[in-house]
Amino acid sequence: MSSPLKHWKAALFRHETILLAVLLAEWFYFDSVGRRFGTLDNTFDILRHSSEIGLLALVMTPIMLTGGIDLSVGSLLGLCAILFGKLWRDAHFSPGLAAACTLGIGAIAGGLNAGLITRLRLPPLIVTLGTYSLFRGLAEAITHGVDTFTDFPASFLALGQERLGGLPTQAWFFFAVAIAIWLLVHRTTFGRALRAIGYAPEGARYAGLPVERRLASAYILAGVVAALAAIIYTARLGQAKADAGTGYELFAITAVVLGGTSIFGGAGTVHGTLLGVATIAVLSNGLVHARQPREVAGMLTGALLLFALASGEISKRLAKFRARRHAPNPAVPVPAPHSQ
Amino acid sequence: MLGKYFRELSVAAVLVVLLLVLAIAAPAFFDAQPLFSRLARDTPTLVAACGMTLVILCRQIDISIGSQFAVCGVCAGMLAAGKAPVFVVCGAPLLIGAALGAINGALVAGLRLPSIVVTLATMVIAREGLRWAQQGAFINLPDGLQWFGLAQRSGQCALIAFALLLLAAMAWAMRHLAGGRFVYAVGSDAEAARLAGLRPQLTTFLVFVLMGALTGLAALMNLAQSPQVDPKSGTGLELKAIAAAVVGGVAVSGGRGRLWGVFAGVLLLACINPALTYLHVEAYWEKAIQGAIILLAVVADGMRSRKAREA
Amino acid sequence: MKQFLPFFLLLGLALGPGCQKQSEQSDSAGGKKLTIALMPKSKGNAYFISCKAGADEAVKEVGADLIFDGPTEPDPAKQNEIVENWITLGVDVIAVACENKEGISTALKKAKAKGIKIVTFDSDANPDARDFFVNQATPEGIAEALMDEAARLTGEEGEFAIITASLTAANMNEWRKHIEARLHEKYPKMKLVDTKPCDDLKDKAQTEATNLLSANPNLKLIMAICSPAVPGAAEAVKQAGKTGAVKVIGLGLPSENRKYVHEGVTQSVILWKTTDLGYLTIKVAADLAGGKLKPGDTVYHAGRLGDLEVKGDSIILGKPFIFNNENIDQFDF
Repeated sequence: MSSPLKHWKAALFRHETILLAVLLAEWFYFDSVGRRFGTLDNTFDILRHSSEIGLLALVMTPIMLTGGIDLSVGSLLGLCAILFGKLWRDAHFSPGLAAACTLGIGAIAGGLNAGLITRLRLPPLIVTLGTYSLFRGLAEAITHGVDTFTDFPASFLALGQERLGGLPTQAWFFFAVAIAIWLLVHRTTFGRALRAIGYAPEGARYAGLPVERRLASAYILAGVVAALAAIIYTARLGQAKADAGTGYELFAITAVVLGGTSIFGGAGTVHGTLLGVATIAVLSNGLVHARQPREVAGMLTGALLLFALASGEISKRLAKFRARRHAPNPAVPVPAPHSQ
Repeated sequence: MLGKYFRELSVAAVLVVLLLVLAIAAPAFFDAQPLFSRLARDTPTLVAACGMTLVILCRQIDISIGSQFAVCGVCAGMLAAGKAPVFVVCGAPLLIGAALGAINGALVAGLRLPSIVVTLATMVIAREGLRWAQQGAFINLPDGLQWFGLAQRSGQCALIAFALLLLAAMAWAMRHLAGGRFVYAVGSDAEAARLAGLRPQLTTFLVFVLMGALTGLAALMNLAQSPQVDPKSGTGLELKAIAAAVVGGVAVSGGRGRLWGVFAGVLLLACINPALTYLHVEAYWEKAIQGAIILLAVVADGMRSRKAREA
Repeated sequence: MKQFLPFFLLLGLALGPGCQKQSEQSDSAGGKKLTIALMPKSKGNAYFISCKAGADEAVKEVGADLIFDGPTEPDPAKQNEIVENWITLGVDVIAVACENKEGISTALKKAKAKGIKIVTFDSDANPDARDFFVNQATPEGIAEALMDEAARLTGEEGEFAIITASLTAANMNEWRKHIEARLHEKYPKMKLVDTKPCDDLKDKAQTEATNLLSANPNLKLIMAICSPAVPGAAEAVKQAGKTGAVKVIGLGLPSENRKYVHEGVTQSVILWKTTDLGYLTIKVAADLAGGKLKPGDTVYHAGRLGDLEVKGDSIILGKPFIFNNENIDQFDF
């Protein structure tokens, strides 16, 4: 009987619905308080400001589904941004060629993480903590800290600042990546493999899944998407600096966890992550319209994260309690809460 | 014995090599006054790293200690500036730190929430809350508080000796006290520990409380070294403590690690920055070198356990 | 249903302060009140808080609404995002201290295109992205003041070192560029031996200064160009027992350095009247929006500051002010 499994699924489903309710509540509240909040211009602002972090959160989701984490994506954004600038300014590549090379560099950097994690079976937290310092350090070393890259051609800047077909240009890339990653995670065997690896790595191995290959792909993908985010960031700002993207990895993790992905792996959805990104972005933007200081946005985001976690845990326990009540027969095992 | 302590000894070996290089290329590194100054200034990091070791041994992590440090420092500073008695100024940061640690511990141990996300949230809340309240203003401390009234050199020696005593006491406690063994047990296998009659949740909770108290102590030790409190102090402390622990051989998967390895890790990482200055290397290499050392340490760990697996 | 409870609590938390705010919020589109948006380089910086004190004074005088907001994170894009939010909000004037000259110009140009008046203060953007620049001193002026003071104190020869905030801080890099230019041009017998970042932390500045003193035994002066670094370097010099032998100068607030100046550890603290800077910025913002200040003016009457020179599109507050043992007690910011 799949009664405990049904309860498990139901709990997860409720998480995204609750998050959606919070998002809508935020929206209606800020719309009533802020005169210009509900306008199209502001919505586009929100889209523009959250594209890069959104991309990082999207690509963090498959990684966290496997029970891993990648703390280096923000630093990689900075490194890719300055390398992009360098290729364009000093090597005289066209923006398109420089962008393509940057995506390749992102893949290589992601490959470094992937190699250390899959080959040497090192814990992702510590490996990416090391590359977090290493990538940022390389960015600072290459630019000597002081070099910045500016004066990009207007056609390139249009990527970050203009509109295309009614939406901000980068939004198209964001949506494309969002759809691609959603399909990857929810509709392919690749995604199912990731989930299995997160839920029970040894079991997945015995089941014949190519665990190392799947993990490596997830981290390399993160590198490529971080590079894409770097290019969009540079276009939006009109400038590439070594400290670009500082702190973005924490935002990304917050959004993913808020969206219901378990940090232990095995459970989570891409649409949850998107809701998480939207919730944080709307909160941050709305508080400006509500004339609240920026620090309040940070504190409320932290509080929201704790509430989301706590309520998720409490609902899981309620489900387990209910399951035990419905199946008092000791022959029916109740699944233990999944923990490391 | 060499094999058992290989990890910690290798860190110590790297440290010794670095010190030899400095002794040859930049002997000024060992001048008494700056050396004591540097060691005294690194004692808060050592204290924090000791606490972080316990947290990591329990298979948890705490990235909020930087903000805790700042809050404790500012509170102690405000008490001191408000002419509170010395024992209040000394006791308050420990209590406040313990309270903040208790919040983390309650959420992690009580509600079984993942520590990285809980401490991420508490870090942000504490940091933004402090910034909102303090707005970056320095707090000028009354005279006589610096070095707790001792002369500068005595004060520095006192702080260094205190930190070393604390390290030794904790190392001894980890080995010989039941509580210390519990931490290792809970970190290796919480379920087995529970079945053996230990209480992993209580142990985890107390570890976070202790981490908070040690952070408060670190803030106090920092406060005693200067006539002003910078509300931004403590930024990056969690990274330093975690890096020192990891480099010093503490396993993130829990259950393995020795405090004196962490000591070597703290010293090694603390030497990089001054080494760059004394060897006249450009400052912008610091982060890259730090990241490389962390990765090398972790790779060394990985290769060793890979060999063990294949054996 | 119990799991909904925490979320309703959160909503209550968010609604609470908001309901209070609603009554205070004024409608600037329909009413006559001007909305001026002021942005420091980052919040939680005592220097900009003292600017705001002057700004608050001016806001009361001109009867406008002030929004004060700035980045709390180090990411360079944050200033742009706030400006873009203000464009949507429909403020009348934006006054900003620019962290990244080229980066912020992207957003400011958009604001200008929407008819919002743009004033920069403390650090400039690209000239075509703003209407006026309230200039307390040019980067060249600041650098010259620092370098000349350093030369005066060391007898125009000897080694010195710089402590800056971070290697990526745009305005500090601008100052360093001009300091080195002035050094090569006028003081060939002086040598800059090292430049160290302190990440805007007093403790780190102290550690860096300690190392610099020991690694460079012939060091004669430390120039701390980021404000937490001035007391940090002073404490390092004091603890090294080199008070007087190694001079300390820098850009900082009088209140943070008073003790060290009196003890003779720090010789000069260079700054300007930050409250005046904030006051002037708001006055310029208000008069720009109100049409009293136009491009092409050569003189600007700035309230209690009297008549100030307008050089092209820069309004000059005055030269950098040198705080030293004689005068530092007269100021309390």
